[in-house]
Amino acid sequence: MTGNKTALKLLGLAALLAFPVLPFSSEYVMHVAVLIMVYAVLAMGLNVLPGFCNLLDLGYVGFYGIGAYTAGILALNHNVSFWLIVPGAIALGALCGMLRGAPTLRLSGDYFAIVTFGFTELVVLFLTNEIWLTRGPLGLPGIPPIALSLEFLGIDWRYDFLSEIPYYYLGLAMVGAVYVVMCRIEDSRLGRAWLAIKEDPLAAASCGINLMAYKTVAFAFSAGVGALAGCFMAQWSMFLAPDVFKFWESFLVLCMIVLGGLGNINGAIVGAVVLIALGEVLRVLLPKLGLPAETRFLVYGLIMILIMRFKPGGFFPTIAATSKKSRLILDLKARLQAERAG
Amino acid sequence: MDTILKIDGVSKRFGGLMALADVSFEVKKGRILGLIGPNGAGKTTMFNCIAGIYKPTEGRIVFDKETGPVDVGGSRPEQMTQMGVARTFQNIRLFGSLPVLDNVRIGRHCRAAQGFWGAVLRTKGQKAEERMLVEQSMEYLDFVGLKNKALDLSSSLSYGDQRRLEIARALASQPKLLLLDEPAAGMNPQETASLVDLIHAIMRKDITVVLIEHDMKLVMSICEHLVVLDHGVKIAEGGPRDIRENPEVIEAYLGRGAAHA
Ligand SMILES: Nc1ncnc2c1ncn2[C@@H]1O[C@H](COP(=O)(O)OP(=O)(O)OP(=O)(O)O)[C@@H](O)[C@H]1O
Ligand SMILES: [Mg+2]
Repeated sequence: MTGNKTALKLLGLAALLAFPVLPFSSEYVMHVAVLIMVYAVLAMGLNVLPGFCNLLDLGYVGFYGIGAYTAGILALNHNVSFWLIVPGAIALGALCGMLRGAPTLRLSGDYFAIVTFGFTELVVLFLTNEIWLTRGPLGLPGIPPIALSLEFLGIDWRYDFLSEIPYYYLGLAMVGAVYVVMCRIEDSRLGRAWLAIKEDPLAAASCGINLMAYKTVAFAFSAGVGALAGCFMAQWSMFLAPDVFKFWESFLVLCMIVLGGLGNINGAIVGAVVLIALGEVLRVLLPKLGLPAETRFLVYGLIMILIMRFKPGGFFPTIAATSKKSRLILDLKARLQAERAG
Repeated sequence: MDTILKIDGVSKRFGGLMALADVSFEVKKGRILGLIGPNGAGKTTMFNCIAGIYKPTEGRIVFDKETGPVDVGGSRPEQMTQMGVARTFQNIRLFGSLPVLDNVRIGRHCRAAQGFWGAVLRTKGQKAEERMLVEQSMEYLDFVGLKNKALDLSSSLSYGDQRRLEIARALASQPKLLLLDEPAAGMNPQETASLVDLIHAIMRKDITVVLIEHDMKLVMSICEHLVVLDHGVKIAEGGPRDIRENPEVIEAYLGRGAAHA
């Protein structure tokens, strides 16, 4: 039973690693695969607020935009190394996340939703109007691709990302790292505090949880992950424009986690896979039906409504799922079973 | 005898309603105090003021910390828990989608320290703390008799067990003062009997208890000292015998004229 599961997991991992060399993996398929990974990171990052803390975030891609433009500007105009861009973008994203959440700390969750909605508009307005920095509606073309180098260590090694394949592997590593971090946090004192806030803030406070402090950590962490996805995307797509970060994009990411199951990390990834794949299908299908490609948001909206009506917990409704499979809990389960039997 | 909590002229106003009007009493260390009164008397409001959920409109709430007595009126709930005041809720407020064990682990939150980096890096200290949290939480569950249900979903427990779990969650914060808001509500006679045993066991752990309860037989049997509220006013205070015979109390419970009937 457990042996089978491990074998299945290894097989899945092997398939993921071998994916780029499979016969059907054209440049287009690889592109979609990388896009899925970017959105998987976004979905996992967004999940922290509505999924773990029950705070509805309607403006998550604002941080995606902040991360992307930070990376774009630093790489294009200042030739900054990728090793510095990533932590810089994450730190700036996290800071913006804290600033965005701060005014709502003493208010109920509804106010937070309103503030987040305003925030994405603000980010788009900033990107559109601060032409000196962002070139406004013209966008930022010609961002250099990612280049990994060890020159700062005095080692003469440099690798330029010239096709989809290195992005695929880097993206896989990014998804894996974010996934592990999310699982570790979910199954920790911090994650349990968030889930307590999600379930009942008043009872959580009565258990000694400082709501303001823990929400602030959630704001920063969630935003930092969004910015990470952004800085990967900027150097992958090599072009940025303010339009990419509009409200509808946030809505799409929200659909992903509602579909997968709010608060479930695996669900967030599945949601990203399903909706990005569906988006590609719709992009081909809708024009054939004589509809503009934007109609796909109607489809996402419909999916959202259907899920809420028929499967309100999403396809993976379990919360705190990581803890259930942790060593400590499995050991405890065995011990309790032994005691009951003996 | 030492005073652990002193309520000094506390009032709480909700708009035009005086939920508490100039109430004063003292809670003695190591004893159990019963807080009684008819529906809407202000008992839960008093707990909410003590536990930091409401800020009293007037008056002082003095809690005896290790460092000496301090006015804690207006502290936040998590600060009160940290200082050693824990409570249960009249209308059970468990973390329903989480397992029983997690409810207690969360209750122990303020006695643990690991944060973001510990969780991400899975440091030695973090792992040790997680192990300890499970062990300690299991001890509290054992104490209230829920050890075997540790991994069940807390919302799947029976009503009586949910009340016990709330007590375990409150105990997990290692309180010096425990506020129980109608712990026997909805329990059958057997469950109530074992609750009495549980409360006695809690007292043996050197925890002072304040008990709100409508079941007069229960209150009179375990409380040495009672405070009676009615319409936000303290109308009587004393031992069970005095309270039972106090005409004002009888009137408050049974309506005007009953005392003479
Ligand atoms: N947050 C609030 N806002 C407005 N009024 C409130 C609030 N909380 C309590 N009250 C009012 O204060 C009065 C006292 O309520 P409280 O819950 O303290 O009574 P109680 O003694 O616990 O009653 P019960 O035995 O029914 O639990 C009631 O009239 C109630 O309606
Ligand atoms: Mg009450």
